[in-house]
Amino acid sequence: MTARAVEGWTLQPLTDFVREASVRLVLLMTPAGQVLAQFGFSRALDVMSAAALGAAIMASTGELARQLRQAPFAALNHQGQRHGIFLSSLATERGAVVVLAVYDLDVSSLGLVQLFFEQMAEELRAASPKQVSKQVLAEDFERELSESLNTLFGR
Amino acid sequence: MTADVFRQALDLITRVRGVRGAMLVSGDDGLVVAEQLMEGIKGTAVAALTASLAGRLRRAMDAAGVGSSVFWHLQAEQGALLVVPGIGEGGLLVVAVAEPDVNIGLVRLELLRAAEAVG
Amino acid sequence: MADDVRALSAELAQDPQSLVFLRLGEALRRKGQLDAALRVAVNGLERHPHLADAHDLYARLLADKHEYERAFDEWDMAVRIAANHIGALKGLAFLYFKVGDVAQAEAHLEAARRYEPDDPTIAQALVMVRGGARPPSPTTAPALEPVATAAAPAAPAPTAGVLDESQVFAGLEGALEGLVLLDAAGMVLGGALRSPAGADVTDAVAAYLAGVSQEAARTVKLLGLGVWAGLSAEGQHGNVHLAQPSKDALLLVVRDRGVPLGRLAILAQRATATARRWLERQR
Repeated sequence: MTARAVEGWTLQPLTDFVREASVRLVLLMTPAGQVLAQFGFSRALDVMSAAALGAAIMASTGELARQLRQAPFAALNHQGQRHGIFLSSLATERGAVVVLAVYDLDVSSLGLVQLFFEQMAEELRAASPKQVSKQVLAEDFERELSESLNTLFGR
Repeated sequence: MTADVFRQALDLITRVRGVRGAMLVSGDDGLVVAEQLMEGIKGTAVAALTASLAGRLRRAMDAAGVGSSVFWHLQAEQGALLVVPGIGEGGLLVVAVAEPDVNIGLVRLELLRAAEAVG
Repeated sequence: MADDVRALSAELAQDPQSLVFLRLGEALRRKGQLDAALRVAVNGLERHPHLADAHDLYARLLADKHEYERAFDEWDMAVRIAANHIGALKGLAFLYFKVGDVAQAEAHLEAARRYEPDDPTIAQALVMVRGGARPPSPTTAPALEPVATAAAPAAPAPTAGVLDESQVFAGLEGALEGLVLLDAAGMVLGGALRSPAGADVTDAVAAYLAGVSQEAARTVKLLGLGVWAGLSAEGQHGNVHLAQPSKDALLLVVRDRGVPLGRLAILAQRATATARRWLERQR
């Protein structure tokens, strides 16, 4: 299984993170849920669902922090019986990037994921291109989404 | 379990000459529970990596039939990591980061005492 | 005999540096006064630490007291000082025979015979060892008990050439079990390991150890501790030591809890040297 990226600058940091943190699934996306890169997903539907849900969770908790008059939460972690889900965001020149990672509790740990997330964040900041503002038209969006999904799944 | 108990437990370890830092680490998560570290030691990294290594070592020792670890010592050119798994539930690890020529026997003793204190 | 002891004691008192302590220690040993003999031997060793005979005397007394690990160390030291020391070679052969390592026992007796071809006791011992006889009973000197896991460091075998070269740990005590050499991918290169229940766990442990060594390497690298040199661990039922004879190989030594980590590290050093030589020969 290999990592795949719509935006090439995310690929190496993502690959390093997957290897070091031994995570099972990773999504890099914008706060709006647009996927930049992924590892471990086998179906486009799963990617879209995870991206939408991840973005929604970040938005909800961001709003919660705002209402508490606090800075946004640095990271969220949900721990199940066998898996953990880690969600965090980082700022880059390209804009905010949200990271969703799923890890096996037998293989990795929150500590490892956090440790190597920090490393990935530094690498992403260093690699990110400058933000290019672009007006998105409806037909462009659908084409771009389709192209993104093809790229993410190696088609 | 209060912060004072943790601090006193770590004091026992950091008093030993050659110890650069001592920590209590959650073995399951690899997160820092308490720490006393000299400048330059990355506590989050120590916690995460030590917990991960402890888990792998535990599986190897189980397979070898020597039972759970009571104490382990990772020796390197420029330092050492010494670890005692805690006594109670929760998978706490008592960790010391030390110079390579530290008195291992003494550190081991203090790690065991600290584990008993926080157990 | 009592007169001998008195006379020898007086002689030693007059000149504490003299070597008469050897005869005095032996005389006390024959009388069964082991504690007194040990004191004499230890004092003599302090004054003459490089005297092979002193180590031999001490080893014999330790063997009499069933302290076989320490006896092994002392005889080992004696042959390091004097490779032709018959007493030490015979002592080591005896200990190897006790733990069932007939090949090593025979090798040491053969070495002794080369130095003393006319010594009848050596010939008798060889007959016993080759004939598959049981080890001498506790009533014959030195007193014996089954050694559970004799884990003293191995003596440098003067006849390493006659041992089976295909055995990775030829020449090392515990060569059949408790020593495992594996490559970086977790595949076994030599040695074996059994669980306390007797099951062969060599492959399973080797597979786990590859992950341990990778994680150890990563840990020391990210924490800025340099290159990792070894990992030792005390378990509830046994102790282990993991070393790297080369960058592509790992060595595991496992012993029961009776062998302290410090001793285990010494054994691991010797096994590492043996493994390194073997690996170089394979290239």
